[in-house]
Amino acid sequence: MRFDLDLPAWKWPFYVMRHPFEGYDDLRWKKGYNMKVAWVIVAAFFIISVASAQFTGFLFNDTYVKVFNIVPYFSSSVILFLTWVIGNWSLCTLFDGEGTMRNIFCVSAYALVPYLISELIVIIASNFLLRTEGGFITFFRYLGIVWSVVLMISAMKTVHQYSIPKTLVAMFFTVVAMAIILFLAVLLLTLFQQVFVFGYSVYTELMYRFSI
Amino acid sequence: MSLFKKLAAAALTAAVSLTALSVTAFADEPYTGYNYDWWGDPIPSQNGFVVDKVIDGKDMGLDKLDYSDKSSTMQEQLKNLAEPSDIFIDQKLGKFYITDSKNNRLIITDETFSPEATRVVEELHYGDEFPESRSEIKKTTFKNPQGVYVRTNTDGYTRIYVADYDNNRVVTFNEDLEIVMEYIRPSDKVFEDGKTFNPKKVIVDSAFNVYVIVPSVTQGALQFSEFGLFNSYYGANRVEATAEVIAQQFWKLIYTRDQIIAMRRNVAISISNLDIDSEGFIYTVTESKSADTDILKKLNPAGTNIFINLGYSDYTYGDYATRYYKGTTYSSAITDVDVDSEGNIYLLDFATGRVFQYTDECDLLFIFGTKGFKNSQGTQKGTFRSVSAVETYKGRVYVVDNIKNSITVFRETEFGSIVQKAIKLFNEGLYDEAKEPWEEVLRRDANYWLAYIGLGNAYLNQNDYQTALDYFYRTSRAGYNRAFKSFRIEFIRANFNWMLTIILVIIVGLIVLSYVRKYLKKKKAASKGGSE
Repeated sequence: MRFDLDLPAWKWPFYVMRHPFEGYDDLRWKKGYNMKVAWVIVAAFFIISVASAQFTGFLFNDTYVKVFNIVPYFSSSVILFLTWVIGNWSLCTLFDGEGTMRNIFCVSAYALVPYLISELIVIIASNFLLRTEGGFITFFRYLGIVWSVVLMISAMKTVHQYSIPKTLVAMFFTVVAMAIILFLAVLLLTLFQQVFVFGYSVYTELMYRFSI
Repeated sequence: MSLFKKLAAAALTAAVSLTALSVTAFADEPYTGYNYDWWGDPIPSQNGFVVDKVIDGKDMGLDKLDYSDKSSTMQEQLKNLAEPSDIFIDQKLGKFYITDSKNNRLIITDETFSPEATRVVEELHYGDEFPESRSEIKKTTFKNPQGVYVRTNTDGYTRIYVADYDNNRVVTFNEDLEIVMEYIRPSDKVFEDGKTFNPKKVIVDSAFNVYVIVPSVTQGALQFSEFGLFNSYYGANRVEATAEVIAQQFWKLIYTRDQIIAMRRNVAISISNLDIDSEGFIYTVTESKSADTDILKKLNPAGTNIFINLGYSDYTYGDYATRYYKGTTYSSAITDVDVDSEGNIYLLDFATGRVFQYTDECDLLFIFGTKGFKNSQGTQKGTFRSVSAVETYKGRVYVVDNIKNSITVFRETEFGSIVQKAIKLFNEGLYDEAKEPWEEVLRRDANYWLAYIGLGNAYLNQNDYQTALDYFYRTSRAGYNRAFKSFRIEFIRANFNWMLTIILVIIVGLIVLSYVRKYLKKKKAASKGGSE
């Protein structure tokens, strides 16, 4: 652990990226959590996921963009990320995790940085490469994902002060918790929709009664 | 004001009458032509083929023949076709052969389907080399013939091969109806015990090898030599890698030998029909609603499928997606294949009654024909109830329906002929000459995606890469890749100087910057050391 670190807030994500194993320890020690930086990264996550659908070169673009709809991209980036944070927080507070919601949010966002950088490289490179050179694209894609996953494990381990096996188990059950949260959210949404439709039909009935 | 009203009324009348005219112009086809776009969505397209006529037994004069020796119920049935199952057209002589399955006969006719040209074959006699020829019963009849194939050599040597389903044989005879050869159940051990030999379809290659499809055999078509010896199986389908198959592979690692034998065996789906083109390639189709692989295969003489990994596209045959509508799942079930002299491939979809026309590289050209609605039962021209076979002759497509007991003839539309002309030029490599018909195609149907590929190739041929890229965009990855390769090389050649300059400047700048930083750090450290 380095005690002489004195980094500005925006440099922390890049520092933990370059130091996957002790970077988060330094971050925790120096209290380098910054919500503004984290939100910027989450916003970048959203923008990159849209850009990946829209600006990836034709030769490598498999997305169905005949009718562009931003909602799926928003829910598969920002909402998914928030669900991860909430799921992880609600699980780990019950199992001796030390991270607060704010801390979990920050470290998870910082862990996304390599994935975002690799996606950016892929988007740019896909406009210059031929199909036969697609190996580079695949390589960068997997590199970014693997790096981000390693960072995420390290982040979860440090922020909750878990052992490695406990971290992995916690992450697995976080995914389960996310599924439950999303299921409940969809359920709630449909129920509210029905309540709304019911209320609206009562309203229209009344209006007909009074107007005639 | 009244003048304006009059004008408006006139314009309205004109518009209405125009739309009415256009409606009547298209109303005679019971189906709307469609095609698939880049995303695999169906989009309306112009019809490439329309119904020319529908032929039944009466047109061929079958009702005028003498059936006095038959029973009264049979007489009625014999007056028309009864469940015709296959058609073969001899391209050189223009002779049509139809297996009239339920009537146990073969009908030989020609393009006109006139009673004068029609000849009915019911009875065959054995040739001299058969022991039967010396016995008292020299004659034999068909029993539910399901497939027919004819080979004609230039010297007039004609052999007719009929898959005689319920007689468990493929029978070969010449034009004098003298049996030359019978292909029967192989006594080989490779043919499993207890399996029946009911031949359904038959084709013959240039070396007179006979390929027979037996529905119960999953190892492929049975290949016989000219003289009736069973050679081998040919062109088996692969076992599709479903989740169940993969799970079984896993269990096989653990199970004992006895347990493995007791497991349910995964066998490939048997091929259901085949055809052979002029170059000797054999095409097989598999009629299955569940299978996705090996729907259409183009096999070389070694039995290897060459319709795999051509370019970057994944082939889809028939309708792209299964559709679920009012409690029924609709999915293509390709029952027959035909290859015409131009190399175009025609697939017949039993489930929807549609014919899918492809180029020799499996690009979808046209979709035509349809299954009749439940209440009309396919009585309308161009609708089917149960299609069984497709053949082509001189640009016309003949589709046999075994419930309607008729043959529907489709002819090419003007639009279809322009497309065919363009493709012909395109296949000959005359991309520039093909440009004009392709442009005409786009004028008539701007959604016709093959025209974009054709024009893209034309511009690529003229080294106009930018235009080629525009045409290939969202129509062809392979084409776009080719055009982009040339475009990139040319772009780098044209801009090499300043690109290299920028790269050099960046490299030099980075080196200088690192030196400056090192220098500054040293200075800082020195000043710090000095102050302490």
